[in-house]
Amino acid sequence: MILSSIFNRRIRGFRLVEVIALSLLLIMMLGVYFAKTSAGGERTRIDQVERQIAAEKSRIRMLDAEVAYLERPRRVGQLATLLQLEPMRADREAAPDSLSAIATRASQNPLYAAPRGKPSALAPPT
Amino acid sequence: MSLAHLPQRFRLPLAWRWVGDWVWRLEHAFERARAAGRPQDDARIRIFIVTVVFGLAFLVLVIGAAHSAMAGPGKRVGALANPEARGDLVDRNGALLAVDLLHWDLYVDPTVVWDTAATRSALVRALPGIPARRIDKVLAGDKQAFLAGGLTPAEKDALHDLGLPGLVFAEKERRSYPLGQSAAHLIGFSDTGGQGVAGAERALGEPLHAAAGGGQVPLAIDMRVQGVLEDELGKAVAEFNPRGAVGIVTDVHSGEILGLANWPDFDPNRPGASPPDYQKNLAAAAVYEMGSTFKAFTVAIGLDTGVATPQSTFDARTPFKLGYRTIHDYHAAKAILTLVQVFQHSSNIGTAKLAESIGPQRLERYFSGMGLTKRAKVDLIESAQPLTPKKWDDDAVASTSFGHGMNVTPLALTAAYGSLLNGGIAVPLTIKKLPPGARPQGQRVFSEATSAEMLKIMRANVADPIGSGGSANAPGLSVGGKTGTGEKWDPEIRAYSKTKQVSSFAATFPTEGTPADKRYFVLILLDEPHPSARSYGYSTGGWVAAPAAGRVINRIAPYLGVQRHYAPTVAEAPTVVAAGPPVAGDGM
Repeated sequence: MILSSIFNRRIRGFRLVEVIALSLLLIMMLGVYFAKTSAGGERTRIDQVERQIAAEKSRIRMLDAEVAYLERPRRVGQLATLLQLEPMRADREAAPDSLSAIATRASQNPLYAAPRGKPSALAPPT
Repeated sequence: MSLAHLPQRFRLPLAWRWVGDWVWRLEHAFERARAAGRPQDDARIRIFIVTVVFGLAFLVLVIGAAHSAMAGPGKRVGALANPEARGDLVDRNGALLAVDLLHWDLYVDPTVVWDTAATRSALVRALPGIPARRIDKVLAGDKQAFLAGGLTPAEKDALHDLGLPGLVFAEKERRSYPLGQSAAHLIGFSDTGGQGVAGAERALGEPLHAAAGGGQVPLAIDMRVQGVLEDELGKAVAEFNPRGAVGIVTDVHSGEILGLANWPDFDPNRPGASPPDYQKNLAAAAVYEMGSTFKAFTVAIGLDTGVATPQSTFDARTPFKLGYRTIHDYHAAKAILTLVQVFQHSSNIGTAKLAESIGPQRLERYFSGMGLTKRAKVDLIESAQPLTPKKWDDDAVASTSFGHGMNVTPLALTAAYGSLLNGGIAVPLTIKKLPPGARPQGQRVFSEATSAEMLKIMRANVADPIGSGGSANAPGLSVGGKTGTGEKWDPEIRAYSKTKQVSSFAATFPTEGTPADKRYFVLILLDEPHPSARSYGYSTGGWVAAPAAGRVINRIAPYLGVQRHYAPTVAEAPTVVAAGPPVAGDGM
């Protein structure tokens, strides 16, 4: 019978089934040991990288907050006042589609025409 | 008989039948071993089975241990979430409004301090905000004690570089508001335990806690609009020196609050440094008798109920008695006025006569529909209850038709104007950013035709020289609006004061197009403004609030993507600043 032959067969005095079981046990123990050891090393490295990422994120947040602080509307307004800047006038606003019409109007305006007898400053040299 | 021989109706699944057969055969093997006089085989087999079962269990544990050892950080357990942590508050474009930043708490352990005198001297110099007496007390103790909290990285580094033994630093996240006073009342602030105390910090507590760890909660506010609003409100405050001031910008279709400014304001990083009154969100928590801005509601109700048409006439030549009140006009037109002229002249007599025709029941029903009789529907917890007439009779009609006898918050007024200008739907206000193009469901209050007519009437009040809102005009933006000047009740004289007023301007732009088109509402309100030389001694809404509203609109239109349209036959006013003597409109 196959089952009884497995239990009865011996190698150098040890039952085959016990040798197989012991071998499996040792393999599993070594497997767990190596898995845990290598995972522990990886874990340490991951923790280090995570700490670095957290520190960088914290630094980025600090810088973002500093940018927001420096760009706060009141400060920008005070700087604009200091530099004598004013809100743009409505007549200085133009949609992209209207730029060609503005250029045409400007070319017809004598204020923008080149003085007679003198070449325009923008004219190419001859 | 094995399990395989059971009748068809008792048949089990194949796997179970296999296990059953196997156990059956095993038991037979035990029986045969016992019968053959070999009981040791029986015991061996049983031991083998137990070994196999334990081996399998061990294998499962091995696989589980290896898997959990190699699992990613997200699968690890045991890391407790910080209950005080909150996500970032950002504006609709992602600009940072409130953020948890790493700070340090400083503890001193006197048992390891080498030189107490030198340590004391260094701490007094490095921490000027901490009383020397407190430092002495900590240094004189016998165990580690807290000395200072909320140290910035620079402050912590400066202390650390002193190289003093006994100084212990503990990391701690702390809520910071990088914009300082800007939008302080809308953003609000939270306590050291991470609980919101006011504003969005309180209203959006749950989503903020859910976003802890780097997530963001976007608000509807646009900091570019907010900056302009605060700038122009600040200029109006500097010129007219009021007791308080409010500025609001909303999208009338979505109800999103794009800007909300109050004066006086406070720094949410140090709320305790300002008087408690400064922390009050006047836009949400203060109620005012708004005055003539209510006339827009009365006129709209008159149109919507069919009581009047734009051409209907009202005799405003003599004072009108309704209930216990005799109603006068601030600047008596002493003429028969059409409905549109009643609006433009801001005639109390004409409005009261219209309200009398509407009747108290219908007036109350419409006011309720617009949300004026309850606290404004908005996420902010500060939203205050209005003061409404106890009984809707002729006296109440006479008063409320032109904004007296009823106190509402600026936000309630804003929400009500929204229903007037967006096609007639009462939409709740919100501080949360909604998806682009979102139009929340609301209850219909006015017909679309009434809304379209009101846009025309409000535009005429700004564009027409006899209108009271001319100084709010902005080139190409077809601004419409209504002035308001509510006299304040003075308890000392037990009557309405002639000098203390709430002056406001309720504006909308662009008025051109259909009611369904993109449209914004702007409210500027000054509480007890003082006249200036430029206002010719007036402190009414048309003189103190309308110019500021016009300047706000002129500056924020490009940010909101509103194109200027110039009608070829209509000459737009060259500037938005009021100039010249008072116009016929009373500016009420």
